[in-house]
Amino acid sequence: MASKNLKIDIKSGTISKEVATIIFDGELDAGSINKISACFDTIRKDGKKYVIIDMSKVSSVSSAALGELMGGRKLMIELGGDLVLAGMNLEVRTKLSLMGANKIFRFFNDLRTAVNAYKWEFQHQADAIKLSFPSNLKFVPPVRQLVSRIAKQKGYGNRDSFRIETIVDEVCNNAVEHGVQGSDDDIDMSINIDKDKIELNVINVSDPQKAAALKALLKTSMEKQLKIDDRRGRGLALIKMLSNKMSVDFSDKGTSVHVTKVREE
Amino acid sequence: MESQIELAYEDIKGRNNAKLIRFIGDLDATNVETVLEKVCNLFNDGFVHLIADFKKLRYVNSTGLGILLHFSKSAKEKGGSFKIANVNENVYEIIEIIGATSLLEIYDELEEAVAALD
Repeated sequence: MASKNLKIDIKSGTISKEVATIIFDGELDAGSINKISACFDTIRKDGKKYVIIDMSKVSSVSSAALGELMGGRKLMIELGGDLVLAGMNLEVRTKLSLMGANKIFRFFNDLRTAVNAYKWEFQHQADAIKLSFPSNLKFVPPVRQLVSRIAKQKGYGNRDSFRIETIVDEVCNNAVEHGVQGSDDDIDMSINIDKDKIELNVINVSDPQKAAALKALLKTSMEKQLKIDDRRGRGLALIKMLSNKMSVDFSDKGTSVHVTKVREE
Repeated sequence: MESQIELAYEDIKGRNNAKLIRFIGDLDATNVETVLEKVCNLFNDGFVHLIADFKKLRYVNSTGLGILLHFSKSAKEKGGSFKIANVNENVYEIIEIIGATSLLEIYDELEEAVAALD
């Protein structure tokens, strides 16, 4: 029995040549299986390996139709891609979860989020975050915790997120310490986070004398002569050990610290 | 704002000059002064053997580590000790990177730290 209720629209090439977006409109019931199967055949023949299904117009999903979707997902996984579901209404989402589909498919609230996830994972698209905060130690804890939470939300593990939190903390503490006391100038931070790494850039207006002290400390640090009782040396040592790359630029405008942390887990 | 940290004290049975301190929260540059004051008060009250339970210490940075090294040094100068137990793996990594594992008395379990008082 063919389903009269399901309409299928395939959009290709708008996101990337390997991605197809399928819009299902109606009921995914037992009678719709042939239509769904034919749709996956078309996509496969078209060389697609990543499918985003827009489920926002789907009113119900039967277990037989879910099985067909699982077959489609298996096909895409074998091709090195994925098949994800986006925009389900609460009723459909609940029913799919009760059938265990949430343990198999990735669910996204809407199409845009699903597209961003694809770009993040397959195109290594970075998310950029910029923030400024007053040069005062009390602002550092919320900043470091924010960055750590972002890393976690982006799929970084607990250990990586903790290390990132420590790096941000130490870099920002250094920026406050070497900044001009009582200055109204903010500390500017920019973060680029992608699937594989986090790049951190912190710029502050430096006190010239303190900048000179930092330069000397960095030189010592490079020569591995840091002492355990050197308070500032400990912070620099931590940043160096926890990150994969660190550099510091001094200019008339201020001090700029760049740190790269590669994802490990 | 200052990071949240709470120090909860407990007596150690049979030891009048020892205290157990449970660290709860984050130890960093915003609250080291507060922690320093509290622990120094214990030293001044004659508690020269201190055992720090880090089970609920989520975070420590280089400044926080500096204060721990200071406690260890101060306790030794007073003829006592500063022992640490139940360190989570993230905090332990920070201590290890700084090279302070040999400078601090670290125990896996609280009971081991208490037993080492004798």
